[in-house]
Amino acid sequence: MLGLGLGIAALGCGLGLGWIGNGALQGMARQPEAIGKLQIQMLIALAFVELVFLLTLFIAPGNFAGK
Amino acid sequence: MHALLQLGQTLFAAANSGPVEGASFLGLAVYFGLLLAILAGLMAYAKRGFGVQVFKNPITVLFEHLYLFIENMCVGSIGPNGRKYIPYIMTLWMVIFLSNVMALFFPEAPTADLNFNLGLAVMTILYVQIEGIRTNGFFGHLKHFAGPKLGIWMIPISGMIFCIEIISELMKNLSLSLRLYGNIHGGHMAVESMNALGTSIYIPIGAFLMPLKVLTCVVQALIFTLLTCVYLSLVTHHDVEDHAEAASSVAHAH
Amino acid sequence: MAFGGIILMVLGTYGSVNWHFSFIESLNKMGLPIEPGKTVATIGVMLILLPVLRYFFIGPLQEVIDHRNHELESTFAEAENLRGEMKKMRSDFEARLAETEATAREQIQNQIREAQNLRQQLMNEAAERADTMVRQAQMEIEQEKLNALMVIRSHVVDLTLAAAEKVIGENMDTDKNRRLINEYIETLEVSA
Repeated sequence: MLGLGLGIAALGCGLGLGWIGNGALQGMARQPEAIGKLQIQMLIALAFVELVFLLTLFIAPGNFAGK
Repeated sequence: MHALLQLGQTLFAAANSGPVEGASFLGLAVYFGLLLAILAGLMAYAKRGFGVQVFKNPITVLFEHLYLFIENMCVGSIGPNGRKYIPYIMTLWMVIFLSNVMALFFPEAPTADLNFNLGLAVMTILYVQIEGIRTNGFFGHLKHFAGPKLGIWMIPISGMIFCIEIISELMKNLSLSLRLYGNIHGGHMAVESMNALGTSIYIPIGAFLMPLKVLTCVVQALIFTLLTCVYLSLVTHHDVEDHAEAASSVAHAH
Repeated sequence: MAFGGIILMVLGTYGSVNWHFSFIESLNKMGLPIEPGKTVATIGVMLILLPVLRYFFIGPLQEVIDHRNHELESTFAEAENLRGEMKKMRSDFEARLAETEATAREQIQNQIREAQNLRQQLMNEAAERADTMVRQAQMEIEQEKLNALMVIRSHVVDLTLAAAEKVIGENMDTDKNRRLINEYIETLEVSA
């Protein structure tokens, strides 16, 4: 059960990261002069998405351990 | 002397029978000391190359590039008064990055310990609050938490925004520290799990994660310092309203 | 700051041995390995580390880089100044060169004009002298002609007188005769 939950969380995190990368790459391709700003904003967004997965990772074992 | 000996014995005992996973107090102290020793050695070597006009010492050149990068980041996200935060941000960067690099080669590193990261995060958030109070005054800083001015009828909503902002400020500690801890410690866990896959055929499959871990080193150090810059810019920007709002919408996304 | 750091370090060491909270232990069971002692000690070490690094490394580095940037900027400004000065000098030089050239050209023009004038004058003089010589020659020729005519006329008169003497047989060489003959010859010349 825990493994399945983690898998679903990882799926969501992967989708989110992929969308962020997609959007950032499209923006960079349209405006190559804005690459520096876009990269930093993209990294911030990536960090927030990643954080959601990490929170899941830390909270799940405590709540579901032994159940 | 006797008390010191006793303290050492207690710490050793705690290290041997730690109920919590990760390094004990003594282990963290040893790894942090190692980190500081490496840092001190690098800096002592780099300081020798200061005399010349164009740096030739490769370590000095590295530190110069780091300085220029951090100056760029501070001035870019905080504004022209961001130069005074450079020492803080640069210290954070050096400690986190070096510790991440240590995590590539050692089984444990300071940033692979949640408490170390929590210490850094608490210190950062406290520093941000102090800077906000220093720029805007105490009540100006509190007003910043209440969100935009909504009028006399919206005081309950402003109060709710205030509570949420305080909670979000507290959660910034956790988010900063958990991100770093999760990435570095998670890297270790992933390597161990993948190594366990290959034990029967004697291939350390986890070693192939090295490029990803190297990337994580840089990105996590960058994100920690970049978020510090963003938080600093949020509390020190008081004249440009809409910019602060746009940035705060980013910061509240979590 | 450093003093506070030392206090926090000692406090963290003490806390890592002595602090046991049930809240923290439940968090540990949940998978968050939090130990407040380590956190406090970390903050203490960082509080010491910040001013030390700032004083011993980052400050000097900043100073060196700022100094270098400043020097570069001043060097660039100096080079810019020098370049402007050089440009000014060059334009001055060019102006002077152009002036000199103009003067030289004017002088050459003057010389040429003078020479042409001289030539014209010489040619005029030469032509004048030739004219004078031609006129003189013509006058001399005229004179000679007149002289010759005079001689011939006197000779003709003598001849006529001699012939008439022979014809008449007596001397007719008187003033009256001579005048007569001359008058006749003049009428002849007119009719001729």
